[in-house]
Amino acid sequence: MSSFGYLFIKEFKQFAANPFMPVVLVLLPVLLMLVVPLAANMEVRDVRLAVVDRDRSALSGQLVDRISSSGYFVLVSGGDSYEEAIGKLGRGQADIVFEIPRGLERAVGRGENAEVYIAANAVNSTKGTIGGGYLSSIVMEFSSEIVSAGHRSAISPLDIVPQFRYNPGLEYKLFMVPALMIVVIVLVGGFFPTLSIVSEKESGTIEQINVSPVRKRDFILSKVVFYGLLGIFAFTLAILIAHFVYGLAAHGGMPEIYVSAMIFLVFMGGFGLIISNYSETMLQAVFLMLFFVLIFMLMSGIFTPVSSMETWSQYVTYMLPTRYFVNILRAVCLKGSHFTDLAFDFVMLSVFAVVINIIAIVTYRKQN
Amino acid sequence: MDSIAIHGLRKSFRKDLPPAVDLREDVSISKGELFGIIGPDGAGKTTLFRMLATLISPDAGSAVLEGLDIVRDYRKIRTLIGYMPGRFSLYPDLTVRENLEFFASVFGKDVGSNYALIGNIYCRLKPFEDRKAGNLSGGMKQKLALCCSLIHSPAVLFLDEPTTGVDPSSRRELWENLAQLKASGMTIVVSTAYMDEADRCDRVAMMKAGRFLTVDSPAAIVRSFDRPLLAVRSDDMFRLLHDLRAMEEVEKCYTFGDTHHVTLKPGADADAAAIASRLEPNHSGLEAGPVQATLEDCYMNLEEK
Repeated sequence: MSSFGYLFIKEFKQFAANPFMPVVLVLLPVLLMLVVPLAANMEVRDVRLAVVDRDRSALSGQLVDRISSSGYFVLVSGGDSYEEAIGKLGRGQADIVFEIPRGLERAVGRGENAEVYIAANAVNSTKGTIGGGYLSSIVMEFSSEIVSAGHRSAISPLDIVPQFRYNPGLEYKLFMVPALMIVVIVLVGGFFPTLSIVSEKESGTIEQINVSPVRKRDFILSKVVFYGLLGIFAFTLAILIAHFVYGLAAHGGMPEIYVSAMIFLVFMGGFGLIISNYSETMLQAVFLMLFFVLIFMLMSGIFTPVSSMETWSQYVTYMLPTRYFVNILRAVCLKGSHFTDLAFDFVMLSVFAVVINIIAIVTYRKQN
Repeated sequence: MDSIAIHGLRKSFRKDLPPAVDLREDVSISKGELFGIIGPDGAGKTTLFRMLATLISPDAGSAVLEGLDIVRDYRKIRTLIGYMPGRFSLYPDLTVRENLEFFASVFGKDVGSNYALIGNIYCRLKPFEDRKAGNLSGGMKQKLALCCSLIHSPAVLFLDEPTTGVDPSSRRELWENLAQLKASGMTIVVSTAYMDEADRCDRVAMMKAGRFLTVDSPAAIVRSFDRPLLAVRSDDMFRLLHDLRAMEEVEKCYTFGDTHHVTLKPGADADAAAIASRLEPNHSGLEAGPVQATLEDCYMNLEEK
């Protein structure tokens, strides 16, 4: 048997003999994929809307009905005046104040322009802006219907019809689930091999390997391949949950997803190896790894879009392989992209994987 | 033929510290020799072992193992040597059997082909074959570690303090095993802190501050001990130690079993009777007399050489 073969078997035996690790391997993706999207939901629903209807006409009634039937808003009584409603906003009893001015129906009937007021509490900026956005699009839609229903209008109202492609319901879950699949792969593919190598350092077994004819290449490869396979396993669990629980269909197909996952795992394996080369203890390795993993997660568009970052940090994201991986996963899962659409991302991801592994092998010195 | 030839070896870890190992003379160890290294903690024994086992390379000097240079031919050397570090360093989460099989396969061997070599040792481990190595007792761990470093039938075996923390009967067994291995022609280099073990070696190197102070057979080392040596005892041993150390003729005084051994300064005009008479007024049950030096006395008086 080649030395890679028995090293690989040894890794498997060690992993299987540990009562804790196999459980972690299964529970980590399952819990992460099941719990986090439900808990950390950034969808804007149940926006509390304080309506001040000073027109009290049939038309204003229709508009309020339309808003409340959209499902995004919970109506709270706004009282009779704008000031009273703003007071509620200040006390946190409402998120958005919507005022319909007196004489709306009359103005519309005469074909004049009428204005409605929206005041949103932007402390919770997503709720304020997205809620405000929903509200204005409902009003727009309503006003264009009035026009087409025969009411004469001096100026035809500008019609904005936003169409949210690839994620029509603007569901945050669909944005979040591919991100969590990456978290799974980062945790399994990054931490497992690193800790396994550092534990060999701590227990001194690496010395015993080093005085043997085993080549460093085989020793590293056995770990990268073994934990890479575990990463694929955890990733597959995550995909199954994404598909069956969240209905996330991989429009572009599995080859793109798996090829990118494998390239990324090779990267994480090599990266973990560099960390372990410079760590003498588990504690040191965990802290170093955590530091980089946090940067990977927070700065490469996994949870917040790259386009909304500062310009300089947008350039930084080009140096983070997670950026390309998250691009690929989102594009494949939501848009149904193919290899040809994502050539740049695939090439960059591969470049990272190759370079990091070269550095890893150079820094792993068997002899001082 | 020499199995190991050291042509001066030096290794420092930090510039501001004296080198951990600083051998200036040539030392050769012949095939089938049982070579012991004794010295206090921090003498550089482990660093020397790690250099010879090709784990670290020396800053200066060279060594040849079985005709192979430890720096240039390190890959070939690794197939020829067995190294057992002072710390237990097998996989604690694998069973006894799995560890043995793994280390055999690391050297491209299977357990069966060299079983004869380890049979004597492994038979004691047989009942615990399926136990995790981490759950073995200290002595059993040492036996397993020895088996794993022997499983590829090395030409040279390095044992770094193999008996530290091992009970006396296991120690005895280990040395019997080493005697058998030596009889099979294996070169064995062993470091130890126990003087009775050093006595079993063909030759002993006394190491201190990175240097070999003497390299000779235990008998020759004892013979070369040329100081007057006294054994003194009384009913109050602690106060006696204090009083002896206060005497100006006394060079060194240390406990040795149930007596104190005393070496006198060169040219000191005193003998056992003179020392005894001066202590007599303060001590009851006083006995003093010259004794034959042992290896331990040589070791305790190392720095005076």
